[in-house]
Amino acid sequence: MNNYQLMITADDKQVVLERILQVTRYRGFLISGMNAKVNTGTNVGTIELMVRSERPIELLVDQINKLIDIKEVKVDNSASQQCIA
Amino acid sequence: MTTEKKLTGASLLFNVLEQHGVAHVFGYPGGAIMPIYDALYDSDVEHFLCRHEQGAAFSAVGYARASGKVGVCFATSGPGATNLITGLADALADSIPVVAITGQVATAAMGSDAFQEIDIFGLSLACTKHSFQVTDINDLASVLHQAFAIALEGRQGPVLVDIPKDIQITEVNGCLDELVNLQNKVKLPPANVGSAIALLNQAKQPILYVGGGVGMANAIDELRDFAKITGLPSVSTLKGLGAIDPEDKYYLGMLGMHGTKAANIAVQECDLLIAVGARFDDRVTGKLNEFAPNAKVIHFDIDTAEINKRRIVDASILGDLKVNLPALAIPLAIEAWKKVCLQMNEDFAWDYNHPGESIFAPAVLKEISDKMPENSCVTTDVGQHQMWAAQHMVFDDPSNFLTSAGMGTMGFGIPAAVGAQVSRPTDCIIAVSGDGSFMMNVQELSTIKRFQLPVKIVLIDNAKLGMVRQWQDLFFNGRLSETDLADNPDFIMLANAFDIKAQMITKKSEVSAAIEEMLEHDGPYLLQVKIDAQENVWPLVPPNTANDKMMEST
Ligand SMILES: Cc1ncc(C[n+]2csc(CCOP(=O)(O)OP(=O)(O)O)c2C)c(N)n1
Ligand SMILES: [Mg+2]
Repeated sequence: MNNYQLMITADDKQVVLERILQVTRYRGFLISGMNAKVNTGTNVGTIELMVRSERPIELLVDQINKLIDIKEVKVDNSASQQCIA
Repeated sequence: MTTEKKLTGASLLFNVLEQHGVAHVFGYPGGAIMPIYDALYDSDVEHFLCRHEQGAAFSAVGYARASGKVGVCFATSGPGATNLITGLADALADSIPVVAITGQVATAAMGSDAFQEIDIFGLSLACTKHSFQVTDINDLASVLHQAFAIALEGRQGPVLVDIPKDIQITEVNGCLDELVNLQNKVKLPPANVGSAIALLNQAKQPILYVGGGVGMANAIDELRDFAKITGLPSVSTLKGLGAIDPEDKYYLGMLGMHGTKAANIAVQECDLLIAVGARFDDRVTGKLNEFAPNAKVIHFDIDTAEINKRRIVDASILGDLKVNLPALAIPLAIEAWKKVCLQMNEDFAWDYNHPGESIFAPAVLKEISDKMPENSCVTTDVGQHQMWAAQHMVFDDPSNFLTSAGMGTMGFGIPAAVGAQVSRPTDCIIAVSGDGSFMMNVQELSTIKRFQLPVKIVLIDNAKLGMVRQWQDLFFNGRLSETDLADNPDFIMLANAFDIKAQMITKKSEVSAAIEEMLEHDGPYLLQVKIDAQENVWPLVPPNTANDKMMEST
């Protein structure tokens, strides 16, 4: 299992959080934590997502990026780590 | 352009539809969408009443696939909306541009478990490319414009717009925005042509693997030029059929689970696989880690997320095929390999010899294919008959073969044919169905009757859920479970009840005359073709097996 931290900026639509959560689960990533600032009235929502998976993170980054409301997805390498479990 | 006139949301919807060139919609009315149906009354958009919302969704899909335009369907809230879901899922799996409009209960009632309220917006997340719920009338026009743009941009797909009833009746200035042209949101890196050219030049046994993306990108000419200039032998996915020039003698047919022996062996032996608008689906690859085991891969696609999803590639060429294919079209020195492929095409050609009097479905479909007029469009349902159609019919364009590929949805064929016929009223539309699938959207015969659509239905009748029966025989020790349909209705009487002329044939000697009668008939026609229940689709690559270890007819 690998742990990853994603930094996502999105158009601040009400449903954007739900879309991210749905894609994350469907693509085989377990959410281990999140920190979201959405519906802020600024048009920009920011979501920090901690996920865990056997799968390479690029798969999830590409799929989240495909969501129409997403502006940017970055993997925070300093916070991501490999667990030898 | 802003007009002084006040419009209701419902009227504005039709103005925007007309602005996008929508001439036909498929749908079914109900309480929460009544204002929209009221505005339909005054609109020039032609509405086709289907007899189930799933039929409306598939008709929109068939319309889009046959014409290249966006297909539009309407449904009311609650059960109307949920009935659309299978069609939307089908459109998502096959990347088909559809805009679905659903009525919703009034905003004040939303979230109160109101009558016919379902959270279709929530349900849409997994089965659409994108979705909207309009809660402010001032957003309606721009949301609808975005819906059309998103359905068409990049990798196409279905978009749902949920419109609460109060929004439909609220008045707004009749403002028609300029059509927006969304640019591809994901900025694609410039195609890495150099490394791909090097791979092409090094390859001794390359194969072109053609997917549905070629048709979706409208890049048929570019693909055919690419195949001609490079001289590459090619194979196709189910959804890619029709993209390669059917006269190309180095075209080896469909690959994958029911692919030709030539296509599967060539791919297994190739040293370079050039995937174009294809996604390494499990029905194509068989056992993934034994698929094309010696091949390097070049992958052309519009969708970044398909690159390295199931197969790590050596070069990716992201972007528009119309631009990228010509950039890589260079002559290749692969004469020896081309000869091998040609020889395989000869050695493994289909054999239509079939003993006995009972009808051989592959031969029937081949004969229809040979006799049908130019520009005919064939739809299928799902099962053995679908695979036989894919194997034995020849198509010169992907928009002439509409089949539920990614989702494999039974019930697709008849409503898709309705949509295809509406979009191409003068072309011959043939639905190849099975006795199981036919019954899944049989109510759409009523739509055929209502609009006098001259759809030809070829019902391959084995009185079985044949494909499942085949698997039970081969992989479940012949324990046949719930696949017998001996109690099917009288299909001739059923067709006649919808004013559809029908004929049943049971013997080889009847086939040719029956096909001619069907093709010459002016109106809708059902040809019921009785076949032996024990016929199987060959070749077959068993599940989780490499594609060269196929089972063949004995
Ligand atoms: C909606 C749906 N339900 C179930 C299936 C599973 N399934 C795949 S093929 C098949 C049998 C289809 O029977 P029929 O239409 O008679 O075609 P045949 O294989 O006999 O030619 C079934 C049940 C499916 N593909 N779609
Ligand atoms: Mg059957």
